[in-house]
Amino acid sequence: MALTLKQQLSSPGGILKFLVKYNTIFIFIVLVIFSALISDVFLTSVNLSNLLKQVSGLGIISIGMLIVILTGGIDLSVGSMVALLAVIFALLVNMVILPVAILLTIIIGFSLGSVSGYLVAYQKMAPFVATLALMTIARGLGFIYSKGSPITFKTPGGEFMSNFANNSTLGIPNIAIVFFIIVIMTMVMLRYNVFGRLIIAIGSNEEASRLSGIKVNKYKFLVYAISGALAATAAIIVASRTNLGSPNMGMAWELDAIAAVVIGGASLNGGRGTAINTLMGVLILGLIGNILNLLNVPSYPQQVVKGVIIIFAVLLQRFESK
Amino acid sequence: MKTSESEYRVEMTGISKCFGVVKVLENVNIKVKPGEIHALLGENGAGKSTLIKILSGVHPKDSGKIVLNGKEINPKNPHEGQVLGISVVYQELSLVNDLSVAENIYLHKLGSRKFWMNWKKITQDAQELIDSLGFKIDASAKVRSLSIVQKQVVEIAKALSEDTKVLVLDEPTTVFDPTDIKKLFENLFKLKEKGISIIYISHHLDEIFKIADSVTVLRDGVDTGSMAVSDTNKDGVIRLMIGRELKDLFPVRDVKIGEVPILEVKNLTAKNTLVHDVSFSVRPGEVLGIAGLGGSGRTETAKLIFGADKKKSGTLILNGKEIKTKSPVDAAGHQIGFVSEDRKEEGVFLPLSIRRNISVTNFDSISSKLGFINVDNEYKKVLGLIEKLNIKTPNSEINVKNLSGGNQQKVALAKWLSIDSKVIFIDEPTRGVDVGAKIEIYKLINEVAKKGVGVVVISSDMPEIMGISDRILVMHKGTFYGELQKDQFSEENILRYSIGEPLKQ
Repeated sequence: MALTLKQQLSSPGGILKFLVKYNTIFIFIVLVIFSALISDVFLTSVNLSNLLKQVSGLGIISIGMLIVILTGGIDLSVGSMVALLAVIFALLVNMVILPVAILLTIIIGFSLGSVSGYLVAYQKMAPFVATLALMTIARGLGFIYSKGSPITFKTPGGEFMSNFANNSTLGIPNIAIVFFIIVIMTMVMLRYNVFGRLIIAIGSNEEASRLSGIKVNKYKFLVYAISGALAATAAIIVASRTNLGSPNMGMAWELDAIAAVVIGGASLNGGRGTAINTLMGVLILGLIGNILNLLNVPSYPQQVVKGVIIIFAVLLQRFESK
Repeated sequence: MKTSESEYRVEMTGISKCFGVVKVLENVNIKVKPGEIHALLGENGAGKSTLIKILSGVHPKDSGKIVLNGKEINPKNPHEGQVLGISVVYQELSLVNDLSVAENIYLHKLGSRKFWMNWKKITQDAQELIDSLGFKIDASAKVRSLSIVQKQVVEIAKALSEDTKVLVLDEPTTVFDPTDIKKLFENLFKLKEKGISIIYISHHLDEIFKIADSVTVLRDGVDTGSMAVSDTNKDGVIRLMIGRELKDLFPVRDVKIGEVPILEVKNLTAKNTLVHDVSFSVRPGEVLGIAGLGGSGRTETAKLIFGADKKKSGTLILNGKEIKTKSPVDAAGHQIGFVSEDRKEEGVFLPLSIRRNISVTNFDSISSKLGFINVDNEYKKVLGLIEKLNIKTPNSEINVKNLSGGNQQKVALAKWLSIDSKVIFIDEPTRGVDVGAKIEIYKLINEVAKKGVGVVVISSDMPEIMGISDRILVMHKGTFYGELQKDQFSEENILRYSIGEPLKQ
């Protein structure tokens, strides 16, 4: 049945086929056109650069989420990790020189991710459970280290980061450039690097991977560690934008990240998903928020619209399958 | 075509079906009368299961017509099929382990009509049904606690719990011993007397000639005709099944076998399986067959050597040096390959392309130190293998799930053949593979051996293992019971060793 429907859909010719195959990009373009038509402000450079700044942090953790999901896992800890690591970064910026603060934050992120990775890969814990535990641990630690209130940057290093995060190069916000570089690196990794190929293989059939002599545990461990390092990168960016680290940052971001990955056509069973489509997923989520804000829609209806878009995007992917 | 009064209970005419680019059935016809036992024969991959799944509503057909009691039907799912009176006992058991026997038998009724179920009555009914089949199973027992034979009986009871008009049995006897088979046959004759039409799928030609009235043979998705069993004989059926004489299947073995063993296994014992005290050696260029009954530990032995199962004791010597294989990673590092019998679950990556499948074991030769893949090299290598193995596909980017069983198997083999393996274990090399692909796979195994690889083939297919092996080891209860040289090869000898009997003098 699915096949005949698909055949019907693609029979009029290439256009429809293309739309079905690249539905995420299609939805994105439609949203852009729609937004441009109904709001004069939308296409202004101020608004667009704001939009990019808003999505960059979430975008970076979504890329981490993507590589975890590609192996068939999930990482619920990323939102809390952003909070904890933003607090840690703010503390470090006020204590040590900037490069050391950045490096240490990323190392700590990698290490925290490694804990999830260890539990999942070597202790065979369900990813949902392991990262759920890490999620509450990280959020709790964030409140402990910050004593419950935001920590502001007080050093020249902090000032430098704040400037960096709020400025643009060649019209593109610096933090968006960081995000795009991560997307491009991930794209290249997934297509042309053994690491990327193997995590996709593991996600599509773990047992076959094991029997092909692949170090399944090592790669499963690594994806969580990398997700942690990316959460640290996102934390540095969001903290720098606001000039402070707060334990309340990144609330429910793990859910938005999963949504972005899913809108981008990835399969939660693993083995399917691309960086470019996750980028589209992130932009689509950001666009919806942005345009609804421009139209003065309050935040509660926004959530409803977001949910509807997720359903719509996933239903569209049905036709693609294969 | 016909009015409501047809002499046939069920007629399938002109049935065709494609999966993706692969044609699995083409214009197949089968007709079964009431009270008839109709055998459906054909090799693995000939399309028998697909035909049955179309009849029962699991798969939609692409074209053709199904007529039941003179009325055209189009079951869209197995439930509709069941309501129409078509019950299927599949080869793969589909019971819910954590429910009781009675709950399983009446599972399809749960959720329909009534809100409350009368469990006492259901258990009673189920017990009566099982008793009437002549087997001793407690209807209130959890299915998990049953033996595989008992589970099969529950499956049959489940199929009969509805008002069944057409009963399909897909290789029901593979797990049965002779007394159980006898009981099953008695039951089938009873059902036949009641006027139920039975479609019986089996590889055991003896059984067919014992119970069936008529037979339809499928070969590569095309039916080669239906006939009354009394009008044919075993040889005739075999010829229809494979489309050629048996001896043409296997390539001539003209490989020079090395003197010094490439792999020696000494006193290998498993930690968690029944495999114990396994010792053997394989020489370069040799094709060593491992035979034995299902459950005798053949696959477990291969997995043990490959590092996929845990060892308790024993040594492995590769090219004169002792090696340790604690995991498949170690084994692959020592250039030992393993092609699993469970192609879909353990062999290939169904949702990935042929290229991505084959490259998985190949990255060392096509990537730089930092892990970046040289895509030109990758394509060259993959396309070369596709051509060499004659994998039938338009290009290398087709997902493996859209290939036929035979071509999937070739992809699984390609993963290991493309690297320089020293020893390859191939578990059931041609299960679910059509005849054409079989011949190609045999040729391939021959060629690999020619390169000086030690090939160990595990197979339940007697003609196959005798046709391609230089020597056969027979397993019984977790260890090697006997060894057969080429001049001793016979089904009887293999069977004798398999059940732990000495050879006849």
